[in-house]
Formats: sequence, structure tokens, C-alpha cells
Amino acid sequence: MDAAPPIAKRRPKRWRLMPERGTLSLFELALLAICVALVVARPPQYLQDVIIQTFLWAGLALAWNIAGGFAGLISFGHAAFFGLGAYTSTILTVNHGVTPWIGLWIGGALAAVFATLLTLVCARLRGPFFILSTLAAAEVVRIAALNWEKLTGGAEGLAILPTASVANMVFDSKTTYAALMLGYLVIVYAVTKAVEGSRYGYYLFAARDDEDAASAAGVNPLLARTGAMGLSAFLTGIGGSLFAQYFLFLDPTHVLSPELSFQFALLPALGGLGTAIGPVLGSFAITPLSEMLRVYFGGKAAGLHLAIYGGVLVIVMLYFPSGIAGALRRLAQRRRSDAP
Amino acid sequence: MTALLEVRDLTRAFGALKAVAGVSFSIRAGELVGLIGPNGAGKSTLYNVIAGAIAPSSGEVVFKGRPVAGWKPYQAARAGVARTFQIPKPYRHLSVLENVALSALLHERTVAAARDSAGVVLAEVGLADYLDVPVANLTVGLLKRLEVARAIALRPSLVLFDEIMAGLTPSEVKGMTSLVAALPARGITVIWVEHVLYAIMNTAPRIMVLHRGELIADGAPATLAKDPAVIKAYLGEETSLA
Amino acid sequence: MTTVGQLVLSGLLIGGIYALMSIGLTLIFGVLRVVNFAHGEFLMLAMYGAWAMTKYLGLNPYYSVVAIVPAMFLFGVLVHRMIVAPALDKPHLVVVFATMGLSILMQNVALMAMSADLLDVPPMLGGRSFSFGPFYAKPELLIGFAVAVACTLALRFMLQATYLGKAIRATVQDGEAAQLMGVPVPRIFLITFAAGSALVGLSACVMMPLFSVFPTVGLNFVLIAFVIVVLGGMGSIEGALLGGICIGIVQSLSSYYIAPAFGQMFFFMLFLLVMIFRPAGLLGRKGEASIGIND
Repeated sequence: MDAAPPIAKRRPKRWRLMPERGTLSLFELALLAICVALVVARPPQYLQDVIIQTFLWAGLALAWNIAGGFAGLISFGHAAFFGLGAYTSTILTVNHGVTPWIGLWIGGALAAVFATLLTLVCARLRGPFFILSTLAAAEVVRIAALNWEKLTGGAEGLAILPTASVANMVFDSKTTYAALMLGYLVIVYAVTKAVEGSRYGYYLFAARDDEDAASAAGVNPLLARTGAMGLSAFLTGIGGSLFAQYFLFLDPTHVLSPELSFQFALLPALGGLGTAIGPVLGSFAITPLSEMLRVYFGGKAAGLHLAIYGGVLVIVMLYFPSGIAGALRRLAQRRRSDAP
Repeated sequence: MTALLEVRDLTRAFGALKAVAGVSFSIRAGELVGLIGPNGAGKSTLYNVIAGAIAPSSGEVVFKGRPVAGWKPYQAARAGVARTFQIPKPYRHLSVLENVALSALLHERTVAAARDSAGVVLAEVGLADYLDVPVANLTVGLLKRLEVARAIALRPSLVLFDEIMAGLTPSEVKGMTSLVAALPARGITVIWVEHVLYAIMNTAPRIMVLHRGELIADGAPATLAKDPAVIKAYLGEETSLA
Repeated sequence: MTTVGQLVLSGLLIGGIYALMSIGLTLIFGVLRVVNFAHGEFLMLAMYGAWAMTKYLGLNPYYSVVAIVPAMFLFGVLVHRMIVAPALDKPHLVVVFATMGLSILMQNVALMAMSADLLDVPPMLGGRSFSFGPFYAKPELLIGFAVAVACTLALRFMLQATYLGKAIRATVQDGEAAQLMGVPVPRIFLITFAAGSALVGLSACVMMPLFSVFPTVGLNFVLIAFVIVVLGGMGSIEGALLGGICIGIVQSLSSYYIAPAFGQMFFFMLFLLVMIFRPAGLLGRKGEASIGIND
């Protein structure tokens, strides 16, 4: 064998234990198996609600992460995309009889268009300037929805008739909803992994880490950013439609509030920005916890779960800025270096 | 022979200060040209204008026969102009290999192929042992070599090196100098800004001297070393010219 | 015609008060290059403090300034030491999310401690408005506006004439150079952050006679503060005053002529317009928004 070995050895094809860019790991497969089991096992009603919300929020966190984590576009205005998706498909269903299975694509597309315009308009803004612009844009959408009563029902909101049928995307069985949300999660996760391992992912990471250097290497940063925001908004909008079909009621406070926007950002931040598994872990850790805290402490200590939430966020940001995923990765690296 | 790069009466002013003042020169394909001058001479500004980071105030930049003044950096990169940054700008959350693979993606179709070709380039600059190291752990010298690798991986027609020798040991300087000297034979024309003068004066057949935004000399190193204007520009500088 | 004049006057006065609330934020941004997302909750905390002093000590908010302002200064020191300073040398998102977390924490602690009820202080200036010709103005508004203007002037004087002020200006222009010149930059950061917090305390005392306090009151006001800071130019004190006045007038006019809710929407749109066309704001440094922060 005289051929010199390739300088960068291709990794041997065997399964990785922990999540990594570009490949599927055993950890991810195990997690998927657990999720499927949770759906199939038909747990009690209240648990099913938690599961449904956990899956949905994991998908939404992943969607936010494409803009916030991968592209570095931290947005506190994603509720606008969520709400646009939710309202679009609901208005189409309620007023025009369009099935949500089609409506959700239109909602997503509308959100994507809005996001693209916003990103182009805010092209020169960085850091806190950009964050505040997203906040302002979302508020504009919320106030518009609040006041455009003819279209959106204003503060009273819109309700979807709970007539169960597949065409209506309304189901009697929570298990079906859980499966629907899991489907959403899996699809968004697949998209995230695909982006992460692709050349487009490289462009995003580079533009995020150093825009000038990325430009000098042939990346068009504006195009990369706009694409990321558009994709993120599209997936978020679809999540909004799915939420509408589950919750069967929309109003600006529920789907367009700043608090909602913060939530979209919080879960990936806690779970680990910039990785695929991070937002999922964030949602899996936080959503059940906050639901349980809310149910358990109820009215008397209303806000306790959120106070804990806030406190945890501060601590995590200061001491574990790479979130849960980062902590896991360091654990895995330490074990790998300990192994003989 | 038509020029690869032509700069005509290029001026870039910041308010009342002319960082680049009426600079004109022409570079043919296959040349290795040094660019020296005291600090504040306008070298970085000149690079920024050529590479598209800023637009000129007046004058022309013609690359491969096309007027390109005011183009965007990514357009310059895609047209075949690569540059390094004086203060290295690595992608902090990517590994060394990934940093270079991004550049390689300009010409490779798949991520895997880009990673392979990045590995080859990294070996050339002597970073083969650092492929998976996170960039945050590298010293300045290594980061400079990473800059060079990223530029070469773009397979450019013209590369603008900006002080790539700073922080290197003498033997590393030797290695890097041979690398740079070999580039024209690979089809890469080089403009080389450098403060480590002994490296550049002994390697580059042609040197341009910039001082206060103006091109005050352009010729062979031996002639330049005796040029009174050049010597005057460097008076007070501790670097020697020969 | 008098209607417009009255609206402009009311808008001007309330705008000055909004500006007072925003000066701390803009100062912090100018010096530390950090947006404190918990700014609204600082205001909420101080307002609860002023309310409590009225309720339990019978002290008028204008008098409780002597307690609230130093207390908020100390609170600012605490938050800076524990949260902001450690976050400064980390990626920007850390300080964004950390202050966000603080905001959520404070809102909900307030909710648990004070419940969601709206709390007010009883009117204490007689309840009659002053009149100037065809126009009238509540004394609380006049006092608030006067405090805002006085504060702006005092700060400007401090920045120009004192060593601390010069040190702050130097840090704003170039933190590294300032440090090399012997300016204790970390100390300046601390003082600025705490001073910003103290200014919020001052504005809370002035706002308590005019607004109710409840756990999420901060959210309403912080959005206004952000708009003012951006409009006026991040880091510019006079800009904050100017921006505040603009916002106050815009809100006043659009609330009357269109609808109160649209009033809010208008100044967000104004914000976006400023962001698009002049992101550095009215009095900010050009190009600043494209740099954002030092990462």
C-alpha cells in the first residue's frame, strides 16, 4: 500500500453515541423511541396534554433555533410568525372552509414572507438593535390583530368548531394529537439536522460567527440570514396552525404575545443554542416541569413556576451557556478521554 | 500581457483624511508582489477596497478586465480574489477543519469533499495536527496560518495576504515563505503586505511601497532599498530594509 | 386648534416623564453596550417601593425619593455584580438571556408577593389642574416633566464637568483606550449600571402618582423605553429626552385622533421606520447600529 492515507480521515462508519453534526446518533434514536412509546402507550389524559405540548414546543424551539442558534439572529418576535400561521389557517377554515391540511402551508408561507421582508428591512441591524426590531414588529402584528376585528375577531378571538374529523384536523383522541405533534417534531428535527450538516448550514454558522470573514469566503450573508429567518418563520407558522387545531381557540394574548416570543427563545437557550438536540432537550426538560408546577401550585403561588424558570435561565446562562446539550457534550467528551 | 488586477487613481477618504490617495498600479497573473509601508500607510484600506469590504471614493479597480470598484466581498471571493485579515477572524464555534472547509465549499459540491480538500490545504500550512481542535484554543501564530489556509482553499486567482508572518518563529517563517513563493506556480497571484521585511525583501521580485496613502515606489527590492524616498518613509522605524 | 395644542402639551409632559424612565437605559447602553432587558422590572420594583412607602409610612412618593433612589442604586450594584459583570466577556446572547431571565424572575416574584392587583397611591396634590390660558396640566405631570429636564441638565453637567463624567465619556468612546489611560473601566461600568438603576428609581417616584403598579407594568413601559432609546440614539441623554417628547406627542395625538390601541402601534411603526432609515437615532452616532455590540 503506497497510497498516502487521506489527510482528513473520513470517520469510520459506525454509530455515534451522542448527537453530532451531520449524523444520527444512538441518543437521538433512543429519544425517538421513547417519544413513540409515549404516544402509543396512551397515558392518562392530563399526561397526554403535557406530552402534546412538549412535542409542539420542541418543534417550535427547533424552528426558532434555525434563526437564533444557527444564524445568530436572536428574535424576540417569533410570536408574530406563530400567530400569523395560526390565524391564517384558522380564518381559512372558519370563514372559507379550507381544510387546515392546506391552510397550514399557506399560514407558514405567509409567515415566511413576513419574516423575509422583516429581515431585509432590518438588514443592517445587529445585536440588540435587531432583537428590539423583532420585538417591535411582533407588537405591530399583535396590535393589528387586536384591532382588526372583522378579520380576526379582535380581543374575543376565533374559535374552531370541535367537530372531529380528519379533514378538519380535529380529533377526539388525544393520542392522535400527540401523534400529530410528534410528526411535526420529527419533521422539524429532520429539517434541522439536514440544514446542520449541509453546506447551507456551514454558511449560516460562518456568517453567524464572523460575517466579514464569511463574506470574504464567498458567502452572501444577507441571503443566508434571510433564508434562515424565512425557514424558521415557515416552520413556526406551521406550528401555530397545529396549535390552533389542538387548542381550538385563538386570541392575540394566546398566540401573539411577547411572553410567547420569549418562550420561543428561552427553550433553545436552556437546551443549547446552535445544536439540533439542544432545543429538544430544552423543551423536554422545561415544558413538563412548568406544566406540573403550574398544576401543582395553581393559583396560590401563581407565577412560582415562571419565577423558577427565570432564575434557572439566569443561572444556566452564566454557568452553562451551552445549555443542557453543551453539558451533555462535555460529559461525553470527558468519558471518551477517560476511556483507555 | 493583460493585467490581472489594475488599480487606477484609486482614492479612499474618510472625512478629510485620504487613507488611499491616487494609487495606481497593475499586476499581471503569476506575479508575487510585496506591499510594504509604515503603519497607517493605507495598506489595509487598499486591501479593503480591492476585496470589496469598502467602496472607493474615486478611481477604478479592474479585475480580469472587469471594472469592479464597489463590489461586495462575496462577489470578490467568487470572482477569484481571496484575502486574509490582519487580525485573524476565525469562526469561533467551528473546528479548524470546518473553518477551511467553508472556503473549500466555494468549489466543492459536497460537504465531505470540502472537508477532504480542506484537510489537504491544512497539511500544506502545517496544521494537519489541529484538524478537530476548536479554534478558541489556537495561538495567534496558528490562527494566522489558518487565515492562509482559508484563503488558499478558495482556489483564488489573486490572494491578498495581510501580515501573515507575525507571531511565527524563524523556521515557521521559512516554511510559510516557501509556501507563498510556490503559489504563483499554482496559478495564484500574490500581493503580500508584510512587516517582517527580511522575508519579503528576499522573496518577492517586486515590491510596492505605500506611504501616507500614496504609492511612493514600485520596483525590485534592491533598487528600493537605496531609494531615498523609501528610506525617508521608514526613518524612525526600527525595521531595517535589507 | 386648542385641542391639538392641549394634546401636544400633554404629550410633551408625559413624554418628558417617559424620557426620565429611559435615560438609565440609554446610559447603560452607551457605556456598557448592553441592553438591560429587565429594565422594566427595575421600574416595577421601584414603583412598588414607592407605593409601599406611601401605604405604610404615609410618605408621598416625591419625598420617598430619598429612600428609593439609593435603594435602587444598591440594587443596581447587586445586579451588576452578580449578573451583568460576569456576562460581559461572554457572547452577547448571554447577557441578553440573563437579563431576560431576571426580568421573568422579578415579574413572577412580584406576582407571588403582591398578587396581580393594580395598586395606586392616593392623589396628594389636591387633584386640581394648573391652567395656562386655554391649556391645562395636572401638577403631577408638570413636576415629572420638570424633574426630567432637571435630571437631563444635571447629567449633562456631570458628564462635562466632573472627572467621573469624563471617565464615562471616555469609556463610551473607546473602552480599551480609556483603560490604558488609567480609567478604571470595570468600576465605571458598575457605577453607570447602578446610576441607571437609580435613575429608574427616580422616575418611578415621579410616575407612581400617575400610573398604577402591577407585576407586569414593566413590560408596557420597557417597550416604550426601548423605542425612546433607539429614537433618541443609544447612549445619548439629550436624545432620550428628545425621543421621549416625540413619543409622548405621537402617542397623545394618535390616541385621540385614531384610537388608544393604535397609539401604541404607531410608535412601534415609528421605531421600525427609525431602524430602517436612521438606526443611529436622532442624536446617536452614525453607523452604530451596524456594529451593534462588541462581541
